[in-house]
Amino acid sequence: MGVITDEARSWAGREYPTFDFLVTATDIAKFAHGTGESNPIHFDKEAAIAAGYDDVVAPTLFPYVVRMHASALVPTDQLEPDGSPTVDVPPLPTRRAMAGETAIEFGERVTAGDVITVRKRLADMYEKEGRSGPLVFVEMEFTFTNQHGAMVARESFTRIYR
Amino acid sequence: MTTLPETGTEVPIQLRVPTALDLFMFSASTWLLHRIHYDTPFTVEHDGHPGLLIHGPLQGVYLVQTAESWLGDTAKISSISYRHLAPAYLGDQLECGGIVTENDGAGIDLDLWVRKSDGTITTTGKARLDKR
Repeated sequence: MGVITDEARSWAGREYPTFDFLVTATDIAKFAHGTGESNPIHFDKEAAIAAGYDDVVAPTLFPYVVRMHASALVPTDQLEPDGSPTVDVPPLPTRRAMAGETAIEFGERVTAGDVITVRKRLADMYEKEGRSGPLVFVEMEFTFTNQHGAMVARESFTRIYR
Repeated sequence: MTTLPETGTEVPIQLRVPTALDLFMFSASTWLLHRIHYDTPFTVEHDGHPGLLIHGPLQGVYLVQTAESWLGDTAKISSISYRHLAPAYLGDQLECGGIVTENDGAGIDLDLWVRKSDGTITTTGKARLDKR
């Protein structure tokens, strides 16, 4: 046991620089098409206004788009050979990652023209013995707010390294 | 005033069969750059998978869409959690469904899942939807 070094452990509690994402109607349409959405409120401003929004509205899980850009919108030399970003990962003996569990609560909907700020924190890190060796669990916390300071989403995401 | 489905009601199953184009569009639109979702030689030869992987977060979207398209404007999703239990690969037919575990008058709790045609559950989740 003990694959988490003191250096890696010192990452627990780390807060990352905030990231601002200006949400355009194009970003919303891309994500909507990329997930098979057909509701016109994601594509057509008039339809969105008729449904009570100010502008085209993003699909529910759009905050995921924001946090992926916060991690991976970097020069290619800051990406692993497999395409995943290196900058936000503590120094672990393995970088072979699996998505673990995510829990999201939603606040204000995201619409075109919003600026979404994501705050990111490495909340916890721990290891368990798996069937084929140690597993390291890295728990990230994300808080998404819009330009009015309103909470858009809060997410806790656990990534597993093996 | 509409009422939400009672405890024990099954969520109608939605079949999702993402194509390579769907996988690429999800990667591109989210900026999820991991090659196992669009680079077949890398995925098979380097990582030892039988084919391209269907993104876990895309399956999370499927769970949200399964609940939202069922309930329409009668409810609004306030939270969801999900975890991935097994890989899903390009070509897999994914059935998305669930059940109402609680209806407390103000909203409902759902258990949701994504299942391959061989019965393997790839993703499970729990969602809360509040009455509008």
